[in-house]
Amino acid sequence: MLEVERIEVRYGAAPALWEVSLAVEEAELVCVVGPNGAGKTTLINAIAGVQPVNGGVLRFKGRDITRLASHRFCETGIAIVPEGRRLFTSMTVRDNLELGSFVAAARRRRGQTMALVLELFPVLEAKLGDAAGSLSGGQQQMVAIGRALMARPQLLLLDEPSLGLAPAIVLDMFRAIREINAQGTSVLLVEQNVAMAMELASRAYVMEEGRIVAEGLAAELMSRPEIRRAYLGVEATQSASASLHPGSSS
Amino acid sequence: MSPPPGRPKEGLASHPAMLPAALAIALLAALPWLGLPAFYESFLYLVCHWTILAVSWNILSGYSGYFSFGHGAFFGVGMYASAYLAANLGWPFLLTLAPAAALAALLGLALGAVVFRVKAVRGELFALLTLAVTFVVATVVLNTPIDGGPGVYLHSVAVPEIGPTPSSSLYLMALAGAVATLAIAWRIFVARLGIGLFAIHDDEDVAEVMGVPTYRYKLVAFGTSCALAGLAGGIHALFVTYVTVAETFNITVPLTVVLMSVLGGVRHWAGPAVGALAITSLHYFFTAGIDPLVGRAAVGAILVAVILFMPQGILGFLLKRRRPQARPAASTAAVPAAPTRRAAPSGRSAPLLQVRNLSKSFKGVRALDSVSLDVYPGEILGLLGPNGSGKSTFINVVSGHFPASGGDIQFEGRDLVGLPAHRIARSGIARTYQIPRPFAHMSVLQNVSLVAMFGGAALDQRRALEQAWQWLDFTGLRDKAGALPDELNLHQRKFLELARALAARPRLVLLDEVLSGLTPGEINDAIELIRRIRDRGATIVFVEHVMRAVVALADRVVVLNHGRLIAEGPCESVMKDSEVVRAYLGAPAHA
Amino acid sequence: MTLPSLNLLLQSILSGIFIGALYGLIGLGLGLAWGLLRQINLAHFGLLFLGAYLSYHMATVWGIDPLLTLLVIPPLFFVFGVVMQWLLARFEVSPFNSLLITFGIAVVMESAIQAVWTADFRRLESHYSQMRFTVGSLYVPVPELLTLVLSAGIAILIWAAMRYTDLGKAMRAMAEDAPIAAAFGINQKGLSLVLAGICAALAGVAGICLALTFTLTPSQIFAWVGVVFAAVMLGGLGSAIGPLVAGMIIGVSEAITMAVASPSWAPIVSFSLLILVLLFRPGKIRA
Repeated sequence: MLEVERIEVRYGAAPALWEVSLAVEEAELVCVVGPNGAGKTTLINAIAGVQPVNGGVLRFKGRDITRLASHRFCETGIAIVPEGRRLFTSMTVRDNLELGSFVAAARRRRGQTMALVLELFPVLEAKLGDAAGSLSGGQQQMVAIGRALMARPQLLLLDEPSLGLAPAIVLDMFRAIREINAQGTSVLLVEQNVAMAMELASRAYVMEEGRIVAEGLAAELMSRPEIRRAYLGVEATQSASASLHPGSSS
Repeated sequence: MSPPPGRPKEGLASHPAMLPAALAIALLAALPWLGLPAFYESFLYLVCHWTILAVSWNILSGYSGYFSFGHGAFFGVGMYASAYLAANLGWPFLLTLAPAAALAALLGLALGAVVFRVKAVRGELFALLTLAVTFVVATVVLNTPIDGGPGVYLHSVAVPEIGPTPSSSLYLMALAGAVATLAIAWRIFVARLGIGLFAIHDDEDVAEVMGVPTYRYKLVAFGTSCALAGLAGGIHALFVTYVTVAETFNITVPLTVVLMSVLGGVRHWAGPAVGALAITSLHYFFTAGIDPLVGRAAVGAILVAVILFMPQGILGFLLKRRRPQARPAASTAAVPAAPTRRAAPSGRSAPLLQVRNLSKSFKGVRALDSVSLDVYPGEILGLLGPNGSGKSTFINVVSGHFPASGGDIQFEGRDLVGLPAHRIARSGIARTYQIPRPFAHMSVLQNVSLVAMFGGAALDQRRALEQAWQWLDFTGLRDKAGALPDELNLHQRKFLELARALAARPRLVLLDEVLSGLTPGEINDAIELIRRIRDRGATIVFVEHVMRAVVALADRVVVLNHGRLIAEGPCESVMKDSEVVRAYLGAPAHA
Repeated sequence: MTLPSLNLLLQSILSGIFIGALYGLIGLGLGLAWGLLRQINLAHFGLLFLGAYLSYHMATVWGIDPLLTLLVIPPLFFVFGVVMQWLLARFEVSPFNSLLITFGIAVVMESAIQAVWTADFRRLESHYSQMRFTVGSLYVPVPELLTLVLSAGIAILIWAAMRYTDLGKAMRAMAEDAPIAAAFGINQKGLSLVLAGICAALAGVAGICLALTFTLTPSQIFAWVGVVFAAVMLGGLGSAIGPLVAGMIIGVSEAITMAVASPSWAPIVSFSLLILVLLFRPGKIRA
């Protein structure tokens, strides 16, 4: 469904993404992990059309969208939940959700989609008339996801949705993401919470300094040394890896 | 282009252009006795008049970027002061000029004292506020006995007999004013005040952090600017002989000085004079034959064209071609001695930096939560943690970029909390920015020498330049000394940040993600450099994500998570601590 | 200071409301452009007077009913606004530079107006000019009433559009976070053109009202700058109803000052308010 072929993004002279290639199939849940500054947000923004690409090809549903104007990406079927939510804070929750379905195809089914979103995040029902900026972090994240869902995307992009959220809320949110994927939407998830992301995803990519350094099935990647080295700079030891596996006592 | 790389403090007399300038001034002054027709005397008067106004405006607005639309207010104050004193109180005219300038300066200082404290009033808001002040002053003058309505007549005021005719006397007064204004503008341009103002123009917050006393400098510039405007107003009162509120306080003066300065070039001390000459000539010689309306429309069109196509102005455009090459003179090639080496941290001496229960909240979000740590002299301390854990906030609070919400910071026994950022810089702390923030319109050399001038070392211009060359050598940027920051690649810009931080001769250096975005080779160079910085006697706290650099450099690390300090100790053991691992990699759902 | 009679005071307040409505109408286009497009458009005042003079011309020279000019001038100005925005967008001008550029354009417009219509005072005399209602002992002149109705009506219309229509919400989203708005299909370039056109059309409408109620002379263009900016800043950038309310507050304060003290003290009200807002609540002004 999504094919990213050796894309390159440069800020001025400095390369932010270098020869990055990945793919997401229909109804897949793929995650991208890596330390800060690895380029994960740049990658997600490039796929969403927010960040222009300096080289390489972006293909979605077989169509080359590399040179498409920013505002045309959404109508192809891609929606983004940006890092830090980036809600329209001066507007109400309802407005934010409705704006998600600004594109014509989504607008026609707005009422129907809204009902689905509220079913997924029932707590938002009471908050529809409130200013988006007044909600708690977790609720704002739900609105951000809801806004993207309102666009009826075939591919949902999530950039670090767990950032700044309490663990219990993160659990709920990941449950919702799993549900969304189960209903047929492809998901590309960028996450700092590596352990949780790997549980959710079927496949994963590891990024470091603007490049992909490892890829494969989520389950087996967890045990490979690349992740630990990328994040912690030390080689894996028994005790460290044990603490990450279910059933440990830490 | 901005102040040349440190014109040392020479007296006017030894300046190479002094002799031709003095001759030119003497010639101009002699014109009235050489049989100049009155028409030209009027023209020259106006050129001098607008030169005073535009050049004085530029001292604050062009140099520091605080565009004032209120120059008319101070001009008007001066005009009415002279008119009132001379016509109503019978003072000899020349004696009224000093009070005119002083009164205008006083108004400006009073306004500046209040406005410059309000951080949000910059740019277009400052412009609108100063415009509003003009109308308020105008209304007050109109409704009080200063004017009262009918205006002030100066027909009975005697013109001082300086030249052969009254009009030539006025011309000579204006000429004297113009020369004085240009001299003052030049003097400020080459002095620390000017360099500081240009730094404020590029990035006021960074300038403050680097040691520039921004509030004081802005006030001095504003006061000087207003005093000179008042002087111009005083002289002009006698020129027009009939002073009314409508003619004095309308929008013409403020907008014309902006136009003249922008046209001539706001980043140069003489730019506005070039603009004044150009516009006045246009008015005088071209509009004589052409409909004055076409002339006015042309002026408006010129303003639009200049902003769009030549924003640096005529002078800026001409001078850009020959940017000074900034080659060091032979005497500056000698490298000053390295600062005394501090012993590596063997055995715990007293901490250099003591942080106790430091907290910082932004709108209810706790970015730092009761962080306590010590930094020992000569060590390299790594400050780690996942995204959003508060590392940058820590650096921002310690360096004074943000005020702390609670807690205590002691540096070499001195309390830092509550100090303005430029005083913290003076105490011996320097920092780099995660995203480099160099002064965009200054060369690499000027960026570094500025910090040497205003930072902890507080050197004079000549020694600051020498220091700057030394640090450029140290960071390998010598070849790029004359380049502007946007001509550098990321690696060089990061090293410029480093050179700037070091130029203040700090005892504590705070590095904020200096390595991000660099290639592996560049990272190796940077690691080497940081080691050498410590070897020269500085203590380093650095925030980093590139783990192999942390492993290679840090004597100790501390880890933050959600604003709290969760681990501290040697790198190897801390990074295996399970809580740290969980902070970075997250906990699985079923833990 | 002489205490005026109650009747005089009430009449003053009424005229303050009327002039305030005009401030609000002029400020509406200015504030929308500043808040949503990040442009400080001094040429708005040039357009204002151009609209006023065109309306005067059509009514006086061609004999058209001034209210009919509402059908001609705003659409014309809409096109002009779109073209100007298209040109400006190619240069990526900062808000401060937009102030300088539009000032230059305003000066050109002022000269053009003076070239065509001279500096003589021009008064649009129509059958509306002398019409008035009487409410009790108060006079309600029809031209001023028309201005109030138009101003309030348009402000409410725009407020509703911004609040309830997709297009209005899209504009607000675009102003707040253009890249993310684009990610949801909102075309910033296109919307900016439409918005600029609307602001120019609003200037046209305000110009017609100006011609109905005031004597025109080109030098007066910049006299309105201060008081309208005060209304916009007090009312809030990008707000539809704010400048109207603020304008009326300013108008009434001015009118009372004029009635109680001398008329020439009136400007001090709006400018002092402006200075106070800038000093104590500058954050409120940033869009």
